[in-house]
Amino acid sequence: MIAIKPTLSAMLRSRSGPLLLLAQIILSVAIVANAAFIIQQRLELMARPSGITETESFEFSVFNFGEDMDLLARDERDLEILRSLPGIKAAAPTNMVPLSGSGWSDRFVDGPDPENAKSLPQFAFYLSDEELVNALGLRLVEGRNFHKGQVLKGFEDKSIQREVILSQTLARAFWGEESPIGKVVYQGDDEPITVVGVVERLQGAWVDDMHLENSVIMNIDFNGSSPNAGYIIRAEAADIPELKETIKAALLKDEPRRVISGFSTIAENRERNYANHAMMAFVLGCMIVLLLVITALGLSGMVMFNIERRTKQIGTRRALGASKGAILSWFLTENYLILGTGALVGVLLAFELGRRLMSFFSLPALDWRYPAMTVVLLFVVTTVAVILPARKAANISPATATRSV
Amino acid sequence: MFSHYLDLAWRSIRKTPMMSLLMVCAISFGIGITIMTLNVHQVMSANPAGERSDKLLGVQLWTQGQDTWRDYSPILTYQDAMSLRRGTVPARQAAMFRTGKAVTTDNPDIEAEMQSVRVTDSDFFAMFSVPFLYGSVWDKAVDEMPEYLVVIGKELNDKLFDGRNSVGETLYLNAKPYRIVGVTDSWSPKPRYYDLTTGSMQDAELLFVPFSLTPMEEFEVWGNTNGWKFEPMRTYEDRMASEKAWLLFWAELDSPEQRKAFQDYLNAHVDSQQQLGRFTDKSRDSWARTMNVADLLEFHKVVPEDNKILIGLSLLFLLVCLVNILGLMLTKFLKRAPEVGVRRAIGASKRQIFAQHLVEVGCIGAIGGALGLLWAWAALQYLANKFFLQEAMTHLDPSIWVIAPTIAIVSAMLAGMYPAWVICKTKPSVYLKSQ
Repeated sequence: MIAIKPTLSAMLRSRSGPLLLLAQIILSVAIVANAAFIIQQRLELMARPSGITETESFEFSVFNFGEDMDLLARDERDLEILRSLPGIKAAAPTNMVPLSGSGWSDRFVDGPDPENAKSLPQFAFYLSDEELVNALGLRLVEGRNFHKGQVLKGFEDKSIQREVILSQTLARAFWGEESPIGKVVYQGDDEPITVVGVVERLQGAWVDDMHLENSVIMNIDFNGSSPNAGYIIRAEAADIPELKETIKAALLKDEPRRVISGFSTIAENRERNYANHAMMAFVLGCMIVLLLVITALGLSGMVMFNIERRTKQIGTRRALGASKGAILSWFLTENYLILGTGALVGVLLAFELGRRLMSFFSLPALDWRYPAMTVVLLFVVTTVAVILPARKAANISPATATRSV
Repeated sequence: MFSHYLDLAWRSIRKTPMMSLLMVCAISFGIGITIMTLNVHQVMSANPAGERSDKLLGVQLWTQGQDTWRDYSPILTYQDAMSLRRGTVPARQAAMFRTGKAVTTDNPDIEAEMQSVRVTDSDFFAMFSVPFLYGSVWDKAVDEMPEYLVVIGKELNDKLFDGRNSVGETLYLNAKPYRIVGVTDSWSPKPRYYDLTTGSMQDAELLFVPFSLTPMEEFEVWGNTNGWKFEPMRTYEDRMASEKAWLLFWAELDSPEQRKAFQDYLNAHVDSQQQLGRFTDKSRDSWARTMNVADLLEFHKVVPEDNKILIGLSLLFLLVCLVNILGLMLTKFLKRAPEVGVRRAIGASKRQIFAQHLVEVGCIGAIGGALGLLWAWAALQYLANKFFLQEAMTHLDPSIWVIAPTIAIVSAMLAGMYPAWVICKTKPSVYLKSQ
């Protein structure tokens, strides 16, 4: 029914218009496919769960500047005050904050002899007490939490055993399916460290780090070791704004020689630290939409012009018995011929562009589904862009053919 | 003649308002997105050192054990930085790192506030062209014999001392008194090239204290500390004696001879340390590297990868827009063929017809460019708000005012060249016949 050959030969007679359209389709496929692929990559990154009750957990830091301050006692007193404040479900000391963009990282080895020991993967290194699991809302899947009060006062303190809780990703990366509970690891010196628990998930500080899921919590309260002390609090999300004021007032009342700052929830940290990815996804998304709009409008404009130019021709066809549907399908066939060719070349170009992006930047290879989806999308968009003006062509009365001669 | 063509172009644009609008929109979107991504690039890739870029060199040493990090580290250990400070080859030199302190004054109404502090040597100010409003930097002797002195920035001076000349007054950092010796004028190079390890688009510090105070004051490090072997760090002395890297070292070298001498000096230093058994990795043929400001901006990837991807894609996007208007223009011009036929018949030359159409295309490009500039500006404001973009990024870089119209007009004219050529080939006879 659809006559491809005459349509093709008609198109070939005025080549420049269709050729330009072809170029546009080819470029569009290449751009949209790659942009969509990058967007999907970023959204996947952003969707990784942190294992933390992000909207309920928040951090703040205290900088003590009194000359003769006993920092260890200060930290103990502050924790006491925090834990007695109404509305606070858990308060834990910490040396670093998840998803904040700044923190500690380290490695363990599995034996005391540095020459022969095997190294565990790199991890984010949290120093805290038994309350951190609760303050971040972590899910303990194996073993136990630290015992209450069994906390060391810095790295020099050797009064009790060092214990660690690992994230499941880290435990699996080194011990596989074997249970890590009870295993002993070392951190350069010959102080043994026992693994006592595993949490389902705990992310570190740097969202772009390949070791983001590897984390360790050790039973050391590091806050007494430096004038800078950090705390993580868990509370009802609705109470947090008020708690900021209450906490600040309570701590300053007890000791005014300090600066208290921070107060951001882990959810806020997440937003801030993924902002680059979110922006990339957003800008590329806008680019795709604009590209489709421009392609559609340009196509419609050209169809409209073609109709004007071919009015006489269309009228003649109608007079010779072509149905309205036939006229419509004539324009559509023309479009699909261009789209088909464009899609073919465009997909090749998309892969070439993807390959180049991959070799210059840290991007994975383009997934074939993205060019495929783009072609489907362009099929829909161009169909609409052609049908709307082409209906006008179908309505041209056969009488036109005779009138204007 | 040009104004006549402008007039004709304007008439033509007005005759087909929808088509013209479409073309202007298409080109403005293309220009808008391109300008936006280019602006971020221009702001981030600016080299604030200007012509001093080649004289200022960041020092990197190969000071590590085997199987450690693969590239030179931009930061040095305290012992190495101290050795370099004793060298005499560079015209000027400075070791530095960032710390933080609680700031108070004798005025009890001003609440204590945390501020970043740059710990550095007196040469810093001349090397990085820091302008002074009042006073000056501490005496060079203080770099050896520590004194509690501080240089503060204008913004902090405005806040703490109402902008008056505060030289000689006292400021407390962690409750310890420091005497103000100088107030700098507003100064915050973007990117903050003197320290790219703690963020490139941050503001410059507003407090500067002598590096020589470090062992006494045991300043905390607000930046990276990298180590390649396990070393217990119980005290600040442990840190200073360790192989932990946390300091930047800059040298100013004026001539190639000086540079050569400095490179030899650095190599000799690492060599001597190797002989002491400090660094076991000897897999290189050179032990030191100096990088000028431009190289360092590149080394620290100040312009993010994402921006480069966006520029590439937005240029392709612009290309689509151009192909689009090329098609529309061709359509529009061809429709006007009869009119051109008449004009040719009454004596217009091909060249005149060509020029007239190019002017029209150029007009569309110019309007599209102006609109694109507006889009880019609006988009940057919106993005800054939504995605915590640094404020510096939201301003249009001065270069954009040249780049934007150039891209707009040139690209539109390139796109218009073919349609204009097609139309000026019009044979007058064809159209005269059909009238």
